[in-house]
Amino acid sequence: MANKFCVSITHAKDNTDKATVGFVVANAAVGSGKETLVFLSVEGVRLSQKGFADSIHEQGFAPLKELMDNFAKAGGTMYVCSPCFKKRALDENSLVAGAAVVGGAKLVEFLSDGSPCISY
Amino acid sequence: MRARCTADVEWDAGDLGCGDLVLELMIRVTAMAPGQVLRLVALDPGARADIPAWCRMTGHTLVEEQPPLYLIRRRGT
Repeated sequence: MANKFCVSITHAKDNTDKATVGFVVANAAVGSGKETLVFLSVEGVRLSQKGFADSIHEQGFAPLKELMDNFAKAGGTMYVCSPCFKKRALDENSLVAGAAVVGGAKLVEFLSDGSPCISY
Repeated sequence: MRARCTADVEWDAGDLGCGDLVLELMIRVTAMAPGQVLRLVALDPGARADIPAWCRMTGHTLVEEQPPLYLIRRRGT
């Protein structure tokens, strides 16, 4: 059984349901003792910015900020797609806890050890 | 419904489910001493499948399951 788990999230306020469920599943992975990566790309990179997720609260789920904070506190890592980040002119000084802007090689390295990946 | 095994710690998780449930469960079980038993009440319908799976992955022992009641013994190390 692989000890790594990746959750790919490509949405933010354009689909708050997917953004939220992605972090719920990521928390299930980190809570199950997996080395867990959330890969934020496309619109999902906006979640990497402090304050952006504060207004997202999908019905039936915990607020997204709380889910993200819990993920980071539990040791989860977020990779933020560099070209997606640059395209949107986001601020590297405003990253949330646990987030790092990376290129594709870092993602490939993580997945190459046999990590499964689920996408939202 | 009474469990046969004595619990050292109790947690009523209410209707917490999925990632919310197992992340908090991990925090609580990690805080216990090796060998101690948690009496968990989890009402979420997904818990019936998730709790045994979580125990298999983490190495903790599911001593007893009578949904919504679960007894989990913390692993030795």
